[in-house]
Amino acid sequence: MRAVFAIVSAMMRELIRKKDVYVLFIFLIVLLTILACQNFFQIEGISRYVRDFGYTAVMFFSFIIAVTFTARQIPAEIEARTIYPLLAKPLSRYTLIFSKFCGGAVVSVLCFILFFTVYGLFCFFGVEGVDPVLFVQGLIFGILCLCLVSALVVFLSTFMTLSANVTVSFLLFMLINGFSGPLRNTVLLTRGIASSAAGVVYYLLPHFDFYDLRIRITHAWDPLPMWLIFSVTAYTVFYCFMLLFFAGAIFRRKRL
Amino acid sequence: MKEIIVVEDLSYTYADGKHKIEALVGLNLKISKGEVFGFIGPNGAGKTTTIKLLLGILSPVDGELTIFGRPPSETQVRKSIGYMPETADYYRYLTPVELLNMYGGIFGISKGLLRERVKYLLDLTGLAQDGSRLMRTFSKGMMQKVSFAQALINDPDLLIFDEPTGGLDPVSRKKMREVIQQLRGQGKTVFFSSHELSEVELISDRIGLLNRGRLLAVGTSKELLGGKVDSQSLENYFLNMIEAKV
Repeated sequence: MRAVFAIVSAMMRELIRKKDVYVLFIFLIVLLTILACQNFFQIEGISRYVRDFGYTAVMFFSFIIAVTFTARQIPAEIEARTIYPLLAKPLSRYTLIFSKFCGGAVVSVLCFILFFTVYGLFCFFGVEGVDPVLFVQGLIFGILCLCLVSALVVFLSTFMTLSANVTVSFLLFMLINGFSGPLRNTVLLTRGIASSAAGVVYYLLPHFDFYDLRIRITHAWDPLPMWLIFSVTAYTVFYCFMLLFFAGAIFRRKRL
Repeated sequence: MKEIIVVEDLSYTYADGKHKIEALVGLNLKISKGEVFGFIGPNGAGKTTTIKLLLGILSPVDGELTIFGRPPSETQVRKSIGYMPETADYYRYLTPVELLNMYGGIFGISKGLLRERVKYLLDLTGLAQDGSRLMRTFSKGMMQKVSFAQALINDPDLLIFDEPTGGLDPVSRKKMREVIQQLRGQGKTVFFSSHELSEVELISDRIGLLNRGRLLAVGTSKELLGGKVDSQSLENYFLNMIEAKV
């Protein structure tokens, strides 16, 4: 675990010194401030608009950090040739993959917590409040989502270039969030090959839509039941494990 | 004398589409404890491939390879190895101290010992003044010194250097030669590749000449040159051997 911790620490330093996060953070604050200021005009339902847009911005910014930061890790090591001194140390390729995943997840989760805290402050003090339990659930689901994103990006980075990895990750995220519902309906409502094919795609792809509490937070609905949170956590752990296992297997065979 | 590296009939082939490139063909080599072994050869001779095989980064297609009696693919074997690559653009957002701490952490070195080791290595490489500076401002020579320091972080028994003096000024080269000789004095085994024939001659106990994946000759410089020892002779010997095989 010392090896993992050492690599994660270096990745955190990279985040702090490369300053990408500061730009997004300032942009988020400006965005939320502008949105919150709309409330001075007492437009009805504006708080929902702030919550909806703010939640989307927080998730999207965190997703950007998770993808761009994690995707460059392995290709950058290969390009800078620092992969060789790393692999010459008592570090298996599986451990390296796991370390890069942990680093990507920790970095993006820390940014997400920062963004979500700012968003929470705007929700609680700027406009009408949200149930704190639901807010915490949103935080947990966001963390789980970013872990899954990091695992997916690490997996893709074992055989894709940086730009291809970022493009595919963004496309998958958009497509799954946009078309998961219609795909599920196809699986449930059709028969034959179309249903089977849609079923394979539906169950194989990582479901980022499971973590989306945007509508629930926007409309201040009741918090989710505990069994659902445990189920989504188990799903995330299983999916991350599978992605990292395959990433390790591919990377082990990769000729460097 | 105890053998640290044993290579028997080692072969490696790179596949480039339908073409296969033989990077190493039936390499046999034994390197003893405390020996400084210089590996010379023209570009594309297979020196770096041999080093990658020694480090377990590549797996042999044929033949056997053991380090400390065990295959280098075992991660535990690498606890006693220090490796300096030919070129590496180390993390520019880190300082040398942070980089050495990261590598020390991978070796599981305790914090107290690591602090002492980092200080010692920065002094040794002449980077003590720049230890807390971000490496993005470093020259190629300074990066090479960082690379040298990281190879020694675990106080290894076997050191593998790929072109260790590339990019260094004459003073730093001399210093590095002295350090390698110091390491030999401490009983460390050093395996290094270089294009600098005079340097190889100065510090190596034995020299191996590799060309197109085949080991053409191994021995002390005296043995290779038949008694005459000067840098001109080694260069002539090298050129004769390479041209004879082309």
